[in-house]
Amino acid sequence: MHRFLRITVLLTGLFAAFSIYAAESQQSVPMTEDSLGPLVEQPIEFPHNRHAGDADKGGMQINCMYCHTYARRSAVAGIPPLQKCIGCHQSIESVRETPRIKKLFEYWEAKKAVPWKKVHDLPDFVRFNHERHIKRFIEQQNRPFQEVCGYCHGNVKEMTVARRSKGLTMGWCASCHQKDHTVVAEGGTPIGTQAYWYTFYKPEVEDASAGVLKAKGPNDCWRCHK
Amino acid sequence: MSISNLLENWSKFRHTHPVDDKPHDPYKWAMSIDLDACSGCNACSVACYAENNLPVVGKEKYAHGQVMHWMRIEHYWDEDVGEEGGREFPDQGAQFLPMMCQQCEAAPCETVCPVGATNHTEDGLNSQIYNRCIGSRYCSANCPYKVRYFNWFNYPTTDNVWPAEMVQQLNPDVTVRGKGVMEKCTFCVQRLRAAEVTAKSEGRLVHDGEVQTACQQACPTSAISFGNLVDQESRVHRQWRAQQVELDKDKQAKDDHEEPSELRGYRILENMRPYPSVMYLERVRESAI
Repeated sequence: MHRFLRITVLLTGLFAAFSIYAAESQQSVPMTEDSLGPLVEQPIEFPHNRHAGDADKGGMQINCMYCHTYARRSAVAGIPPLQKCIGCHQSIESVRETPRIKKLFEYWEAKKAVPWKKVHDLPDFVRFNHERHIKRFIEQQNRPFQEVCGYCHGNVKEMTVARRSKGLTMGWCASCHQKDHTVVAEGGTPIGTQAYWYTFYKPEVEDASAGVLKAKGPNDCWRCHK
Repeated sequence: MSISNLLENWSKFRHTHPVDDKPHDPYKWAMSIDLDACSGCNACSVACYAENNLPVVGKEKYAHGQVMHWMRIEHYWDEDVGEEGGREFPDQGAQFLPMMCQQCEAAPCETVCPVGATNHTEDGLNSQIYNRCIGSRYCSANCPYKVRYFNWFNYPTTDNVWPAEMVQQLNPDVTVRGKGVMEKCTFCVQRLRAAEVTAKSEGRLVHDGEVQTACQQACPTSAISFGNLVDQESRVHRQWRAQQVELDKDKQAKDDHEEPSELRGYRILENMRPYPSVMYLERVRESAI
């Protein structure tokens, strides 16, 4: 009887210890090689690094929202129409004969859209709004756009074909929504509901720029789930 | 919401009265339905089917009580129906009552969900999270209005629910629910969220009339009005105030008088204290249909 009790106590203790360890250790998101997401085969291997990368690495430093133009005014960021690619590339003679651009013009002449595949695909029961995040961090806090897009999309300016490098799980979203983000950073503008409340609780200018006023992201199931 | 946050700020999260101690701000979505205007045409129900990707289950499943109408028209008859005195099928004297989720402030369904799939939102909606729901159906059992509907089948793969060409008609802003999930009227939350996002980006609140529910939009007699109850100028607020119906009361002051009130506004099963968000306006004309 005593032996039975001893084993029970030992097992309970071991289980409790393991549970505490498991709860405290960071849950890692399964990823493939060099912690990038699954490789999505695209019809044309689009070089993001060439377009958006830094100038010293041979990039053109184009704003993400020059092509993904809907991000700032709608829920989805959008894939640029083929017209947008051609708009620039018809006057760039130096790369006109390279295989990828040739392929691009083939689509153009056949009057067919490039069948791009989705890389950051959220489940159907999730509602994500690009516009709100752009407004909150780029317009309101005046943060650089590549940093802001990178919160969810990773360092796209160093990728060729974009890959999903962040978890995009609910816990991952919530980890950011639970943080206290400053409402207005230096040089930023209060907009949206913040602007509305700002008229009532307008803090001293020094305080506002020092980031005293803080707010969390929405924490209500139906904000993101549909 | 982490456990530590919950423990530290317990007094902030604790409610002593579902509505009274923590007023809604800046939104509280509410509805009022004028039964005098309702002609029982079912347009609201049809609009709801189209907007919310509701499956058309067919005659057989309907007979089994597995119909998925979030918005249903209840029929009541002036004459006796049945064996005792009345006729079997009355040909006139029908009265109609559109019934959908009442978005209760103290919702009986929320407290019994074993997995917390149904919650209360800040703007006074009773949310239903499909991907969290495990299908215990306890909420439906506890709902006094019987407005929760369960997916007994995987309707997207069931024949004739959405024939191939009808798939294009599905609303992308609403999940297509799978088997084993509970669902109910959402007050067209996808429209509310879209309007809120637009308003927020423009630095204002949602105007009255800017957002309509699908049933309201389809109603030919404008019997349904919907809006923000916090907004003093909104149509729905003015109606509630004119009828002296208050959200946070389980018995309205006007009903305390001995003489019956001339006012038509009432809420269904109000004395059970679910604090529903839908006010009905009693019918005054005689049934002509």
